[in-house]
Amino acid sequence: MTTEERVDRLVRDADPGGLGVVGDLAGVKQALLEEIMSESLVRRAVGMPRRRLWVRRFAGVVTAAAVLVSVVPVSVVVRGQAEGGGVSPIVSAGAGVVFSPLAMEAAQRNPRLLIDRAGWTVAALYGFAEEQGMVRFRRGGRELEMNWYPAYVYADRYSGQLVDGPAKSVRVDGWPADLFQSLSGDFTVLLRPRDNVVVEMKTSGNWSRKDVDRVLADIVRVDARTWLAVLPAEMVMPVRERAARVLVDVSLPPGFDVAALDEIGVSDSYQFGVGVMSRVGCGWIAEWQRARASGDEAGVRRAVEALRGSRGWRVLRDMDRVGDWPEVFWEYADEVAAGTVRPGYVEGLGCR
Amino acid sequence: MSSGTEQDEDRFRRVYAEDFESLLAYALRRVAHPEDAADVVAETFLVAWRRRRDIPVAGAARLWLYGVARRVLANHHRGGVRRQRLGERLRQQIGASVADPGSEVAERLAVRAALAGLVEVDREVLMLTVWEGLQPHEVAAVLGVSPAAVRTRLSRARTRLRGLVGDDPGPPGHVLDVLTASTRKED
Repeated sequence: MTTEERVDRLVRDADPGGLGVVGDLAGVKQALLEEIMSESLVRRAVGMPRRRLWVRRFAGVVTAAAVLVSVVPVSVVVRGQAEGGGVSPIVSAGAGVVFSPLAMEAAQRNPRLLIDRAGWTVAALYGFAEEQGMVRFRRGGRELEMNWYPAYVYADRYSGQLVDGPAKSVRVDGWPADLFQSLSGDFTVLLRPRDNVVVEMKTSGNWSRKDVDRVLADIVRVDARTWLAVLPAEMVMPVRERAARVLVDVSLPPGFDVAALDEIGVSDSYQFGVGVMSRVGCGWIAEWQRARASGDEAGVRRAVEALRGSRGWRVLRDMDRVGDWPEVFWEYADEVAAGTVRPGYVEGLGCR
Repeated sequence: MSSGTEQDEDRFRRVYAEDFESLLAYALRRVAHPEDAADVVAETFLVAWRRRRDIPVAGAARLWLYGVARRVLANHHRGGVRRQRLGERLRQQIGASVADPGSEVAERLAVRAALAGLVEVDREVLMLTVWEGLQPHEVAAVLGVSPAAVRTRLSRARTRLRGLVGDDPGPPGHVLDVLTASTRKED
């Protein structure tokens, strides 16, 4: 044995990392995986109910919620010449366009940052009316995702980025920000908090630092009406009309209030489906519990039959091709049909 | 869903399944109290989950995770990592399973004390080589140095360790754990 081998053997024998004494790790390993994948930093910070994170998967084609009360032709305002001589994609809503107060109020709280360059379109959006949300812009093979969070998570987001090295100072629409690049080359831009909101941008696709600088220079903050007007036309559809399409073959629980769906806000079709079907599922389970408690056997049967029929509802089948939320719904539906449901359905379905 | 999102999640699941034990062992080797390894593992995989898009493909993922864990540990040693609610079950299982280091045989403790006496990067080169079983180019990827520098430091670490341990380590007396190792600047 060489001297080197002898030293290595001494070190190897002193290894405190043997897992033999830790016991069977399968259970705790799976538990931690589920915790990590279902619990975001913000959710922990604000104590929001846990919901499986994969409800955030997005459809490739975005349709979104109803914000427009009445429609007249939108006037295009040229803000500058884009690459190739094209015009800016930013439009302003004409004087005849009336947005709903809920949408305007939510838009006022949004960061309302747009890429003022031809070719960039909004590809996905959720959390429009909430304190945490995301809008994803796409142009060709490149994407820029803007996530917004309550300002108090800034320190955590910043320290989380530092694992990839020190930050570089940049500015976005004149506002100070820090740029990070990951080991794989993707960029993150973390803006300093503004109006109690912090924005974190992430690139995906083939971006160079020069590309990032060019796009950052094109980002502008717009007013609420402009922000709403820029959203894809399919997102601007009256909530009632959109809900009617979603609920066309869905059995509604007693007392279901379609008007209350207004609060779902602007979102892509998957997230809109989650918002609507959460209320449907929670309503049916509540009705089932009420009927059981009061000895209303017919009511119990109606709730069971409705939930059993949910596997055929088009909206859930469509969503099932996009993400796993319908599977959660059906798990609880099956439990109701079997006569018992875990209390976790409140969090699992996002009941309010 | 966008296929990219799905691929990112699948990749994270695969990396987690394949590398969880390696990361736990890595953490156990570098913390003062074994149960703290749960925090390091949880924080490392939480970072990996948030940055799942950045996880390299194939065999490079484990090295990337070691790199993340190294930064998490550095933060941990500075007191910057708050104990996570995440990983509480893992923490409990480790705490209930792993023996008190004080009950270990003297020779092992002496070697660990000697390791603690090495310059940080030299120590890490030796540990990654012997405990994690990495090749010099892999150690270089984790530490962000050149493979040639790894070979130089490895040779120096072995020599110094041999000098610190001696042919007959004997009773070590009071033993510092690896966690409390010198943080002096590298030479």
